[in-house]
Amino acid sequence: MLNRLALIAFSCLLFITAPAGAADTASAMAFVQSLGDTALSSLTDKSLPPKAREDRTRNLLRKYFDIKTIGRFALGTHWKTATSAEQSEYMGLFEDMIVSTYASRFGEYSGQSLEVGKSRPIGKRDFIVNSKILQTDGPPVNVDWQVRHKNGKLKVIDVQVENVSMLITQRNEFAAVIQRNGGEVSSLLETLRKRKGG
Amino acid sequence: MTRCTTQPAKKILSLTLAIAITLGATVTATGCARSVDPHTGMKTSSINDPLEPVNRAVFTFNNALDIVLIEPVAYVYSTFVPPFAQTGIRNFMRNLRSPFLVANSLLQGNINGAGVATARFLINTTAGIGGLVDVAGMNGLAYQQEDLGQTLAVWGMGDGFYLVLPVIGPSSARDIIGTTAEAYGDPLRIWTHKTGRDWVYYTRNAVEGLDNRAQLLDAIADLRRNSLDYYAAVRSAYAQKRRALIHNENPDAPTTPVIPDYDE
Repeated sequence: MLNRLALIAFSCLLFITAPAGAADTASAMAFVQSLGDTALSSLTDKSLPPKAREDRTRNLLRKYFDIKTIGRFALGTHWKTATSAEQSEYMGLFEDMIVSTYASRFGEYSGQSLEVGKSRPIGKRDFIVNSKILQTDGPPVNVDWQVRHKNGKLKVIDVQVENVSMLITQRNEFAAVIQRNGGEVSSLLETLRKRKGG
Repeated sequence: MTRCTTQPAKKILSLTLAIAITLGATVTATGCARSVDPHTGMKTSSINDPLEPVNRAVFTFNNALDIVLIEPVAYVYSTFVPPFAQTGIRNFMRNLRSPFLVANSLLQGNINGAGVATARFLINTTAGIGGLVDVAGMNGLAYQQEDLGQTLAVWGMGDGFYLVLPVIGPSSARDIIGTTAEAYGDPLRIWTHKTGRDWVYYTRNAVEGLDNRAQLLDAIADLRRNSLDYYAAVRSAYAQKRRALIHNENPDAPTTPVIPDYDE
């Protein structure tokens, strides 16, 4: 009897404590909505100087995206052949590239809004959140977010625009740059450096 | 193109041009996909491209042609034709494709898809004023792009290799077979040819191509500006888009990459 009570008490405890650390589809959806709203409200202001827009983009990126996972996946198997100095330089350059690309994209946005649709769990701790970007001057764009629950936080690890994964495209592109330059990771770093300078 | 056809050169040329304009620089229209690890369902980074040097040369040519001709025309179309007219044209063009949608759905064993495509055709042709208004789409019968290349993929044919066709743009060995066979079996092509109205067929293809290109104005401009290797980016995007289409854009299909956890 006592055992049984203990068991019940224990299960109640589990039941109460479990949701605190866990994420569900609803929280993944709320997360994406918050990301979309924040990005569209804080980055699309036309009067924003480019530097300020980049700073805001970087903050947003660090807050909402698992840039480490994204960067490593994008480099693919070349990560292992890179020296640790190359790895850390790559991470910095990769972040800069994402920041400048997205800052300029958001600088051109106006009148868009994000409408979150459904969400479903995938794998051990990821969620796919479907959404649409509604535009005033064109048909809606389907955007699917892959969100990972990690260390008690949700972070975006991939964005698929009309079924094209930004992560896969980036990875294929980096692989092509490296492959065309004798398989050297340093060639990719050189390309990224040039891009940043130019 | 010449690999798969034995027709007289003139015919091939005009057909090529027609499809070319149809698909010109259309990253998403047809092509190659399914470079996927069958065990993990993960899209791998390798796309079979043994002809890469030739493909890159053709790609450079296509890109130049796009910049000087196709993109400006698409820009003018997109800017000066009223949005409702563009939508009407797109609906009309899609409705004309209905026989292919029904046939390919059936060939893929997708009875439901064939039913939807048939219903869409009947509803839009009548209530939608000859296909100009997508009444069916507004009532939950969504358009689903189908073509013979997808059917061949469903039947188990691999992509073969990646191929960039002059003017036409990205394709694959498999999808060229599909595109060519569809063009020859196209009732509109056969009928217009028999009745000496070939221009109708070419106009249809040109308008379709223009509409496709116009829809991709922003996407392609963005890719051109932001990619480190534009060729590789297009090749990747194309393979992914094709794969999604083969899976009928089913959100539950294993098209999402399996992304490992690195810090464990």
